[in-house]
Amino acid sequence: MRKPCVLIVADEAAGTTQLPGLAPALSDGGFDVRTATEDEVLASDEPDGPDGLLVSASLGLQRVAMLARRFAHLPAPPTTIVFPQDDLDALEACVRGGFDYIMPPFLPSLLRSRMSSCWERGQLAGAVEDMAAEASLRAYERDLAIAHEIQSGFLPEKLPAPHGWDVASRFRPARQVAGDFYDGFELVDGRRLGFVVADVCDKGVGAALFMALIRTLLRHTAEHTGTASGSGDDLPPAPGSMNMAEAGASLSPMLSVGAGPLVQAVVATNRYLTRNHLRQGYFATLIFGVLDPASGALLYINGGHNPAVLQRADGSHTLLPPTGPAVGMMLHSSYALGHASLERGDTLLLYTDGVVEARATGGTLFGMERLLTALSGPVKSAETVLSGIDKALRVHVGGAEQSDDITMLALHRSAV
Amino acid sequence: MEFQGKMHAENGVATIRLIGEVDSRSAHRLNELIVAAAGRTPRRLVLLAEDLTYLSSAGLRSLVFAHQKMGRDVEIVLVGVRPEVAETIRLTGFDRSIVMQEAVEER
Repeated sequence: MRKPCVLIVADEAAGTTQLPGLAPALSDGGFDVRTATEDEVLASDEPDGPDGLLVSASLGLQRVAMLARRFAHLPAPPTTIVFPQDDLDALEACVRGGFDYIMPPFLPSLLRSRMSSCWERGQLAGAVEDMAAEASLRAYERDLAIAHEIQSGFLPEKLPAPHGWDVASRFRPARQVAGDFYDGFELVDGRRLGFVVADVCDKGVGAALFMALIRTLLRHTAEHTGTASGSGDDLPPAPGSMNMAEAGASLSPMLSVGAGPLVQAVVATNRYLTRNHLRQGYFATLIFGVLDPASGALLYINGGHNPAVLQRADGSHTLLPPTGPAVGMMLHSSYALGHASLERGDTLLLYTDGVVEARATGGTLFGMERLLTALSGPVKSAETVLSGIDKALRVHVGGAEQSDDITMLALHRSAV
Repeated sequence: MEFQGKMHAENGVATIRLIGEVDSRSAHRLNELIVAAAGRTPRRLVLLAEDLTYLSSAGLRSLVFAHQKMGRDVEIVLVGVRPEVAETIRLTGFDRSIVMQEAVEER
């Protein structure tokens, strides 16, 4: 068995001759004894530490503590024990400071017994510290679990599915709380379906707090804005933002019904965030779509988000790229309205970058190409589209850890 | 690859060299470099990005932070950005707030 190693650090100023028999007694007691000066210990970059650190109390409490801290990062830090080097007042100060001690005469068997009881006590203190750390970790985990619960309340319980349509979603946070979200709600007395997929930058609790704010601003503004005429518009248009009348003018009257709530929600949310929170630097990329379920006409704003994929019944794809910058990133951002039409059998997929940036063990990203390949088959329902992508993702990622939130929303218009 | 960054400032230009990946784990270190750069009150902030291999949304947030921290009169120039990283920046529209160059231009 390996001998326990003891490192003796004497106070050179006090004269090393004042250690009658400490080192030989330790050797006789079965210890592997080494000596070093204070400077040598502090400057050393040796990765391992001794089992026991014997420090002269004459160095004073502060320097003793500093030496003890030198090894504190180790998985099993040595027990620090002080001994008197002709100054009993210094020894008392160190003992009051919480250090264990040994006293002369230094006899092998006495030292051995003393040292081992110091060790046990040191280990006990370590165990108590570990328990305290574990308890605070548990409290932290409990807080996160609560945050997770509350955040689920900011996601829709059920997505509205108008007649002739079916809707499916996925939401897989990389951690307890997420910066991603999706939403779906009726607008204009049920004549339109509003839906959102968004990704708040960064991760963790900060992103989750901003997720709650941004989701609420978008949805509340959309639900409380009138139609495109601007009559229900209680917010003046921001400079640089899209002129509401202009946005409406270029669209047919049927399309323009949903334009007001859509533009207002995105512009007002951007304005609120940049006026009140720009300093914190949180922004969200998002796609907000407003669908007329009767005709399949779709209006959308893509604020700096990954292009949505419109899969046609014949298997071809159309991408819906950004029509403006991320929301909350810059003052006076302007947003154009995109429009598209979903015919029978068409499917619209919205997703966050956690899908295309999902990494395989080797680091390769899932990418747009694999996503489009997963979307190439005939579509039965929104649910089968998402389970197809799930499968392709699983194959690609293998055993690698999920590093980003994954969110998807699919809308499918029945073929018949 | 682990993120590494270095900042130096002279003649009113602060330069930060970015190496590796800026993501949610390393973004705070880029933020610290930006704070240090802002402390030198430069006219321009130049980010050398030839060796920046990945920029997550947390990294993009650092650039937004830099824009805030430096003030609107300070031009932020991103030099030699790789196509994938440039795509991330363009997608979100933040390329409207900064200058992207292929190589350092003398002014």
